[in-house]
Amino acid sequence: MSKKVFETLEKWGIKNYKIIDKQAVKEITLGASILATGGGGDPEIGLLWAYKVLDEGKTVVMIDPMDIPDDILVASPACLGAPVVLTEKPPSYDVLNNAIRKLEQYWGKKLGATIPIECGGVNSTVAYAAAGEFEVPVIDVDGMNRAFPELQMTSWVTNGVNASPTVSCDDRGNVTVIDTGDDNKMAENIARRAAMAYGGISWIATYPMTGKQVKEASILNSQSIAWELGKAVYRAREKHLDPVKEMLDSLKATRNVTGMKVFKGKIVDISREFGGESTKGFSLGRIKMDGLDEYKGSVAEIDFQNEWLVLRIDGKIRCLPPDLIAIVDSETGEPIRTDIMKYGYRGSIILIPAHERMRTPKGIQLFGPGYFGYDMDYVPVEELNKEVAK
Amino acid sequence: MAKDVRIGFDVGGTFTDGVMLRGKEVLAKAKALTTDDVTTGIINALDVLLKTKKAEVSEISLVSLGTTHTTNAIIERKNLNKIGIFRLGAPATTAIPPLTGWPEDLKAAIGGADNIFIVRGGKEYDGRDIVPLDEEAIRSACRKIKGKVDSIAITGVFSPMIPDQEERAAEIIREELGDIPITLSNHIASISLLERENSTILNASVITVMRKAVEALKKAAKERGIEAPLFIVQNDGTVMSADYAVNYPIFTVASGPAASVRGAVYLSGIDNGVVVDIGGTSTDVAYIVNGFPRESSITVTIGGVKTNIRCPDLMSIALGGGTIVKTKGNEVIAHGPESVGYNLVKLGKSFGGPIITTHDIAVAKGILDKKLDIFDTDFAPHIDKVKALDRNLVEAAYNIIKNTLEVAVDQMKTVAGDVKAIFVGGGALVVPRENLEGISEVIMPPHFEVCGAIGTTIAEIGAYAEGVADLEVEDRDAAINKVVEKAKDEAEKAGAIRDTVEVLDVEEIPFAYMPGKREKIRIRVKGKIFE
Repeated sequence: MSKKVFETLEKWGIKNYKIIDKQAVKEITLGASILATGGGGDPEIGLLWAYKVLDEGKTVVMIDPMDIPDDILVASPACLGAPVVLTEKPPSYDVLNNAIRKLEQYWGKKLGATIPIECGGVNSTVAYAAAGEFEVPVIDVDGMNRAFPELQMTSWVTNGVNASPTVSCDDRGNVTVIDTGDDNKMAENIARRAAMAYGGISWIATYPMTGKQVKEASILNSQSIAWELGKAVYRAREKHLDPVKEMLDSLKATRNVTGMKVFKGKIVDISREFGGESTKGFSLGRIKMDGLDEYKGSVAEIDFQNEWLVLRIDGKIRCLPPDLIAIVDSETGEPIRTDIMKYGYRGSIILIPAHERMRTPKGIQLFGPGYFGYDMDYVPVEELNKEVAK
Repeated sequence: MAKDVRIGFDVGGTFTDGVMLRGKEVLAKAKALTTDDVTTGIINALDVLLKTKKAEVSEISLVSLGTTHTTNAIIERKNLNKIGIFRLGAPATTAIPPLTGWPEDLKAAIGGADNIFIVRGGKEYDGRDIVPLDEEAIRSACRKIKGKVDSIAITGVFSPMIPDQEERAAEIIREELGDIPITLSNHIASISLLERENSTILNASVITVMRKAVEALKKAAKERGIEAPLFIVQNDGTVMSADYAVNYPIFTVASGPAASVRGAVYLSGIDNGVVVDIGGTSTDVAYIVNGFPRESSITVTIGGVKTNIRCPDLMSIALGGGTIVKTKGNEVIAHGPESVGYNLVKLGKSFGGPIITTHDIAVAKGILDKKLDIFDTDFAPHIDKVKALDRNLVEAAYNIIKNTLEVAVDQMKTVAGDVKAIFVGGGALVVPRENLEGISEVIMPPHFEVCGAIGTTIAEIGAYAEGVADLEVEDRDAAINKVVEKAKDEAEKAGAIRDTVEVLDVEEIPFAYMPGKREKIRIRVKGKIFE
């Protein structure tokens, strides 16, 4: 048992915390995968890394954002780059430590806690692994409560916190400090190119901010939302309940939002376009699903750009970014990702309203339909599905 | 005398089937109990075939088998090699060392975590070194494990694209340790380091098991005067020479289902459809794509370890001749998953026993009305017991069984529309064959009950290769051709005549979250053994 993290909690006067064990990591990862909106890549590496850290006896604790001191330095440890490279080249055990140490040097202050950047893929859990290695707590927040493809697409940016300075490292010890002031898109551009130069994957410590900024700009309690969602699915599996209903109930309880099941069907067509500069390096295309059961005769089409992006049912727009689309197995609740879906896959489509901190005018400008090349105005998912939501 | 007789075996959980063919003509069929060591069961089936005297031993041109030697050894953690595990990838990859997530007993069975070395090396996706290979670290590791390990597994980062570091490491290990079996991950599986490493280590763990099996079978064949090459079925339904298989035993873990698909194609002449292989306790549903089993796209777990070896996309359901129909009065409560298995001939209604099974429902419905010659017992010696069953009960059970089958076939579909289905296996007669939803036609080819054994004798060699291309600087056709040549090299090594090797499929997968036009290319080829 590492004592340092508990000394920190005592110093901050925090009595309420949650111990993150392997079961918790598993549940958070599953919940985050559902919220990942089809993106983020395979979470396996992050999961195994967190397991390894816990197996070594390191302690991971999660605390509530409202309990933390206003003046501490927090940052988000994350992976940025191509998931396919990551599955082939897992990280060194100290690459994130190195990024954090270099960020501390540049900032001139010690890190007090980590914050996850997003839900989905390896980034669901690297903040936990890094917190265990660094003996600091994880704060129950993130920057989007879903997955997005680029660094600047966070509630932090829409609420006035910048990604800079971001420290980007590789396993060989190469370090790039990216300080682009409030030009967060430029930070993304440089970070992406650094990752390419390293060999496709980079490990970053990003979004350094104060405790006060965490409270003002994060998606609060996003980790608990994912955790409860994961627990709900495992519960459904164990007790043979309808996982979709359990998910929607869980979201109602944690976020007080109404998620909607709008379709059940089978993938009958997938068209992919090749990545390239013209497509910003996204893997993009469209899937078509034919309805099953009560949706028989209906057709759903989903455009994807790494994540599921736009849903049409029988030609009518039903969901636009940043609202969330999840396709989950109707029996197991397991979500399907854009990189592994295939012909014949059967599942239910669930829509979830994005967090209000993602829906500000700046948010819609940063990651609404327009940013992804759609010439249409953002309409909230509740509006587009008035009939279902009732 | 023409040397044109082929012999094939398919090892199942209960029975080992054997067949002897001349061209398309089935000369003899055999069934022997599967033995613990697997090999004895095969030899027993061989002897049954030879005793029929349907052909001279000198006419035999090929012996081929689908076997469970490897799978059994891994699942039972029996006779596994102690392994020296080398990963070429530090300083990257150290966050997750080899054997992470393995079951403890399997870890112990291969010598534990003492013989693991993550040495500096590995490649980037574009061919650069992560860092140069640390040759001295490999030599010093060899000195530590000398005499303690039976086999070596080497996995280098991005080796499926750029294998030279793995090859160099093998060279050094041979210099230090002499003639020891070495498995290189680039020969085993595709990118995804941890799963490929797992597959590579598992392969290294069963090399001795496979070598002993091949030696025993060759010896048995020789003692019986057979002078014919031995081939073993791979997971994709093609075969490899036994000498090649000794180094790649992991490619045989799904040889049974793969052989069934190939046999179904051979017997029915259908290249695209669904194969339903019905046994005593379960039914395997697999799809045929251009004459071969469709490959699974998800990770395959073997003995509790996640691997990424290529396996047929298979759905196993609890539906077989011995599956129990649960009743309350004259009502059907459930069908399965329990089965009476090979005790069917004691416990089933048709045999005078107390339990209603799928078999009995089939007899009652009249869809099962003959004995297959591979079985010793008649199909319903106590047919009166079956006739006494309540009509409504029989209908209800029949409909449940029909629905189970229809759902399984539909769930595995990749495109809408009805498919042709080939029903094979010893239990093929016990399931409904008329008016099945989603199935346009049910085909039961002759010899369907030994379909798997026949499938082993088709004798086509398969191989594959991978590469990465950057289409912004490389010509697409040239990039693909480079990989095709690599695949042809592998096919030749596995026993194919190079001129006969043809491309089965070309797969291109773009790299996501990465600018540029990089993609992974995967090529699958097949070639012939005979001119």
